[in-house]
Amino acid sequence: MSLAMSRSRRTLYSALGLVAFVLLWELALRSGLLPGSLVPLPSSIPLVFWYELADGIWLDVVRSSLGHYSVGLLIGSSLGIAVGVAAALLPRFDALHAWLARLLRPIPPLAWIPFAIIWFGINPTAAAFIISIGVFWINYFASYSSVRSIDPDYDEVALAFGQRSFVSRLTKVNLPAAAPGILGGLRAGLGQGWMTVVAAELFGIPGIGQRMMEASSLLATDIVVVYMLTIAGLYALFDFLFMLIQRRLLRWQP
Amino acid sequence: MMTSSTSSGVTQAHASTSPAVLSARSVSLGFGGTPVLAGVDMALHPREFVAVVGASGVGKSTLLRALTGLLAPQSGEVEIPAGNDPGTRAWSMVFQAPRLFPWRRVRANVELGLEGLGLSRAERRERAIEPLTLVGLDEYANRWPHTLSGGQQQRVGIARALAVRPRVLFMDEPFSALDAITRRRLQHELIALRRRTDAAIVFVTHDIEEAVLLADRVMVLGGHGPDQPARVVETLAVDLPLDERRDHPDFAPLVQHVEARIGEH
Repeated sequence: MSLAMSRSRRTLYSALGLVAFVLLWELALRSGLLPGSLVPLPSSIPLVFWYELADGIWLDVVRSSLGHYSVGLLIGSSLGIAVGVAAALLPRFDALHAWLARLLRPIPPLAWIPFAIIWFGINPTAAAFIISIGVFWINYFASYSSVRSIDPDYDEVALAFGQRSFVSRLTKVNLPAAAPGILGGLRAGLGQGWMTVVAAELFGIPGIGQRMMEASSLLATDIVVVYMLTIAGLYALFDFLFMLIQRRLLRWQP
Repeated sequence: MMTSSTSSGVTQAHASTSPAVLSARSVSLGFGGTPVLAGVDMALHPREFVAVVGASGVGKSTLLRALTGLLAPQSGEVEIPAGNDPGTRAWSMVFQAPRLFPWRRVRANVELGLEGLGLSRAERRERAIEPLTLVGLDEYANRWPHTLSGGQQQRVGIARALAVRPRVLFMDEPFSALDAITRRRLQHELIALRRRTDAAIVFVTHDIEEAVLLADRVMVLGGHGPDQPARVVETLAVDLPLDERRDHPDFAPLVQHVEARIGEH
């Protein structure tokens, strides 16, 4: 028997697993094995989703979450890549900030919430700030290590063909050679960003997290689940779109 | 025919009147206090082909890098006068591995040395196709390097080096990583190529037959002991017709002579 499975069979099994899970969940509730106050009926979710959508709440909260998400992602990613690449290429800068990075790195993004509130107040800027921190570190380390591991032979080629300036070596060797690692970091940041979005909103910044807190205080677990699925769906969408871009940019790879 | 001159490294065989495209005077270099090369002299004239041979680890590649300035010599000087044409570079290089940029298509790889020379995009494209045609790969211009065989990749490496119309072309064991059949084919292509380029060539190899097969002069690099720096122990002119060298009665004795000289050092 072969260990490999055909692709279609694999898809079938995956779908089966998901359906079985939802069915068991539904049955456990209907048979009274699980109390309905703890989890909602799966079959009730589509209708609740429709209500959220029809009220315009869904679009509102998703839009504001996406707002801080994209701002935080943009700032965190670009700063992370810039600082990471600079640290990998400039030994003096690397040494200068090495201990500072080691000190700040272990601090989780959510530990910055007190400062975020003091500096920016309870508003979207604070959320974007918190999101950018986690994203920054992921991109920083991915860029740093991928630039560091570039084959020095490429640098010699650039020098032998007259590309001597820092800028031309950066654009002609370092960035393209490190692109696979840098893009990998960006993609990981995409996921990390979502995790902090919700957490950052739990203390009152409008968005998906805040709506979930509201719902849970009313024990509306069905609404909570709607937004959990929303987060999963949006993440899958972004990851898929990013993967398309990544594949296009790295089409030179074997 | 052979002319030898020990230690000076410059034979009289090519004392032409045209100015040297490369002149090196007592070049010495070492790594971390260990001397590697001592007092290497060299003069290279237009279209001349010099092969540098020596035991492995003797410092052949180091000499090449000292001549190009990729490594700074500790003493002595090297001069490769730039030409007058602004669209050219004084020298370029073919490496042991092709070292193409995998993120650039073949054509863009060949254009690398042309960037920063003040050429327009269209001019660069045109100048890249020319050497690609010369190595028979113009139809591969839009390919990614990884879709090419090792021999084809090395040909692109040669095209990249020729594109800048160098006065001196440095080749660092360019065929040693190829299989025997491809190596032989590329050796013959290089012989044919020489008629179509004005570049003088400095060719490093550990393959003595290859050196005698291709070069006008063979420079033998050798040290006098484990911690002794390498110097030029002999330079000999190979005065055989380029086309049928391998079958020439003088070919094997020449190869044996060089082998013996390397064995001594």
